Amino acid sequence: MQYLTTNIMKALKELFDRIVRCVNINLRELDYDVHPFVKNLVPFDQLVKFYGFYGITPHHPLDFQFLHSNLAGSYFLGKCRTTNSILYKSDIRGDELKKEGAVIQYQDFEILISRDEEIRIEDSFLIKTLVHNCSHDPETLEKFLISNTLSTHYANIHGSPTDGSFLGPFATVDLTTMNDCVIGAFSYVQAGEINHLQIEPGTIWVRNSDNFNFRYQYPLDKLSHYIHFMAGKPPQGLFMDFVEKHKKAFERVFETVNIDPSVTVPPNASLDRYAVIKPKTLIRDNVLVAQRAFLKNAWLGVGANAQENCYIINSRLEGFNVTAHGAKIIETDLGQNIFVGFNSFLRGRPKNRLSIGKECIIMPHSIIDIKKPLTIPPGHLVWGLVTCPADLETNSISLKELTKIKEGFWRGSMFFEGTGASFVAAFRERIHHILEANGAFYDGTKEKGHAQKNQNISFNLIQPYPEGELKGLFPTIIIRP
Amino acid sequence: MENYLVKDLMVPLSEYATVPMGSTLFEAVLALEKAQEEFDRTKYKHRGVLILDPKKPVVGKLSHLHALSALEPKQDKVDSIQELGQFGFSSNFIRQLRKQRRQQIAPLEDLCKKAAELKVEDFMHISAEDEFIDHEATLDMAIDQLVQEKLLSLMVTQDDNTIGILRLADVFAAVYHSMAECSI
Repeated sequence: MQYLTTNIMKALKELFDRIVRCVNINLRELDYDVHPFVKNLVPFDQLVKFYGFYGITPHHPLDFQFLHSNLAGSYFLGKCRTTNSILYKSDIRGDELKKEGAVIQYQDFEILISRDEEIRIEDSFLIKTLVHNCSHDPETLEKFLISNTLSTHYANIHGSPTDGSFLGPFATVDLTTMNDCVIGAFSYVQAGEINHLQIEPGTIWVRNSDNFNFRYQYPLDKLSHYIHFMAGKPPQGLFMDFVEKHKKAFERVFETVNIDPSVTVPPNASLDRYAVIKPKTLIRDNVLVAQRAFLKNAWLGVGANAQENCYIINSRLEGFNVTAHGAKIIETDLGQNIFVGFNSFLRGRPKNRLSIGKECIIMPHSIIDIKKPLTIPPGHLVWGLVTCPADLETNSISLKELTKIKEGFWRGSMFFEGTGASFVAAFRERIHHILEANGAFYDGTKEKGHAQKNQNISFNLIQPYPEGELKGLFPTIIIRP
Repeated sequence: MENYLVKDLMVPLSEYATVPMGSTLFEAVLALEKAQEEFDRTKYKHRGVLILDPKKPVVGKLSHLHALSALEPKQDKVDSIQELGQFGFSSNFIRQLRKQRRQQIAPLEDLCKKAAELKVEDFMHISAEDEFIDHEATLDMAIDQLVQEKLLSLMVTQDDNTIGILRLADVFAAVYHSMAECSI
């Protein structure tokens, strides 16, 4: 009897230990031990409670391989493979992977994509992590590889092949090849390629080596009110309290097999069946609402989107708004063409609303948290922590003024080197690409995007061994047409 | 080249500027001046002060650079500027930033007041293991240690006690002296 008890979930426990060792070996140069941070972070019992699920559509290759992995509560779309990995409530969204036959231009090279790109996750433990986009590493264009990596709650791995790294809660690595790095809580890195770096919590770093370099550092004493992460404890702070508060609403959508949308969805818009929609929500044409998004009294104008883990509450988005993965918009009015970056937290108050003028760019991982009304004028770039007009003065610049910057400038804890015009152009181009990919410009015949292609997804469920040594591990599953 | 030993070239502790723990920067500077006056003027000048402690004779060293660093106005943001290099900011950008920040804060004002308040132990350099050498060691070994570790001086020991200091300047003078005698 003793033997049986101690051996329950043996394979899963061994897998966890193996992943921790794989990550630590890669981080030995930084002398970083991930074990104290992740031990008991997700109890093993949780890993056997939830099913995994994958989407089938005519628009994405059907090619899944799950080998010796736990996929509790995780979602897969597109060509994906997991090996020796634990994915807990993570979204592996392969709807922007490169297709066979595409030609990629990189510097002076034209590279033909010889087979459909796949997301490959090996020897990794991802907790409530979003994996999206495609590999931007010109050396691995057909393989978006995440290996020997451990990521924690609400991290985003976006177009970033990652090896031997650790991501703290709400950290994002975007369009960056990353090897042997530690990314602190709520840090955002978009830097092309990074190796052997330990990034402090609350670091916002956007670098294009030829044109510009942007870096902002949050004051850690103030950031800890929103998020902090210590060894031996789960992530804590207002961000965690906020998502925990809304957790219950998601239970119904995950427990019910067939669910009808509670609002009218135009035929050219997409509302994921794993999103939560509360009353007084309006969805206009070409809107995309992704899984795990939460909308309550939200007005989404034409071409607006709400990506994974977004919360839009008592807010109005006039149209062509990008609400990037993990962004939260509360008691806020947004004009048209506003970009709200990854994991940003915008919070007005019921009688003291936040108002953002058209064509503003809210940098990824911005916190705008006000107690008195605040208006951000149109066409501004905003970054970092803003709680009052004085903060806004320090942590913003008009795009017109920024365009005139030739060498660099600094304000507060933000440093910018390079030409402002190239920075603004890069952001505008990316925002346009996101809107285009999401189908915001669909005219009924041309420019279909996710809002049109992701409308009718069939979801199939997969489950782990229910007991014994293999309890919690999913059997090897290969799914092809 | 003559077979010098470390003990032949070192400055004995008794001839070097020293102050006890708890001294102020002002007292250290006075000790340096006094030692310099008493020192053989044909030799290189002293460039530091040794910090002494009754329990462990030499506990630290104070160079010109340490003294000037201690007098510099404290800047909260200096560290964040230093970090910019690892984020790929150019050295030119960092230099400009540092220059502007330096201009924004007060120059070396209240020099005397500051020097009288700062305690040497708060900013002295504590010698690492590779900064010590035995008094019987050869000049070659001393040169190797100075070059490999990029040091300006070595603490000279005898039976675990620090008995003097071997300065790069004196080592160089000995080498120069030998070279001068060569008939090339």
